Amino acid sequence: MLATRALSHIGKRAISTSVCVRGGHGVAKVEDYTLPPYFDRREVPLPDVAYVQQLTPEQKSLKEKEKGSWAALSNEEKLALYRISFKDSFAEMNQGTGEWKSVVGGIMFFMGFTGLVVLWQRKYVYGPVPHTFDKLYKEQELQRMLDMRINPIEGFSAKWDYENKQWKK
Amino acid sequence: MAHPSQLGFQDAASPVMEELLHFHDHTLMIVFLISTLVLYIIVAMVTTKLTNKFILDSQEIEIIWTLLPAMILILIALPSLRILYLMDEINDPHLTIKAMGHQWYWSYEYTDYEDLGFDSYMVPTQDLNPGQFRLLETDHRMVIPVDSPIRVLVSADDVLHSWAVPSLGIKMDAVPGRLNQTAFITSRPGVFYGQCSEICGANHSFMPIVVEAVPLEHFENWSSLMLEDA
Repeated sequence: MLATRALSHIGKRAISTSVCVRGGHGVAKVEDYTLPPYFDRREVPLPDVAYVQQLTPEQKSLKEKEKGSWAALSNEEKLALYRISFKDSFAEMNQGTGEWKSVVGGIMFFMGFTGLVVLWQRKYVYGPVPHTFDKLYKEQELQRMLDMRINPIEGFSAKWDYENKQWKK
Repeated sequence: MAHPSQLGFQDAASPVMEELLHFHDHTLMIVFLISTLVLYIIVAMVTTKLTNKFILDSQEIEIIWTLLPAMILILIALPSLRILYLMDEINDPHLTIKAMGHQWYWSYEYTDYEDLGFDSYMVPTQDLNPGQFRLLETDHRMVIPVDSPIRVLVSADDVLHSWAVPSLGIKMDAVPGRLNQTAFITSRPGVFYGQCSEICGANHSFMPIVVEAVPLEHFENWSSLMLEDA
């Protein structure tokens, strides 16, 4: 506490809460990272600790009953024992989150926004294209490319039927 | 020249370019196969339900995925080296032309017999005749006889340029103070376009190259006319 007060001018977050714990004032939740944790992972099915550490009296009596024959346990009791040792079932831990829908939605949103930006640019920023993009000019270019036999083997002029003056079918 | 929205190479106008086209087809097919395999493996890794993290030792597959890529690389290297040495063959040119890069035009010198030299400037967009290609046409073309081996000596007068004609499979840097030699044969008559391929200043995009391959008589007429004009 003294340390947090002394250093409060650089921000209260500079000192971790474990200092307060050592001061003996008690904190609601303590994370001691040296102890083995509980986790739900498909590839490591048996964690080092059970999920529920502090058992209620009913759970304690159930644990005593577990020491006997398991055929005597009802289905609900077996499920209760499972939930003492584990938090999620395999089905629960493996289920998807649906996060992909947000991701795809975000992607499409930004792509649409980019499209709006492009449209705005075309209208307000760019000047006119050169006259060589006019329809008539493009037709003259095309005719000249065919007359010059541009790419006559497999490319451009190869696809033109010179006899019948049309594109090859 | 390329047609609109063209993705692949232009049709070859010289035997070397044909070889390069076929080599590219061969290598690209290998690349597609490898990429498909890798993509499949990635998808399999991401969607697998298997969870064994403690697999050790896999001698057989290690041998396979060492030898197989080595063989694939040899399959690529052998055709590649073949073309490299093919391009380096001693040829006997019928004509030697000097292509000099300037800022921002090319000049061609035909000095085997007479002293013929001329500049080749891009035709500005507003001066184009109907149907001419924007940023590709020049006022004077480099005319050569078809089916004849030509030697081109490429150099530059000021800064780096690069003399490139894709349909002939040629690109040769124009370095000031240096003569770079390249050679080609055009297998068909036609007009072949290229553009300067080394950044050389403000108008680097506006100094194209046009090679016109014509029958020998036409070439002789053209060179006589050019000599008269000079």
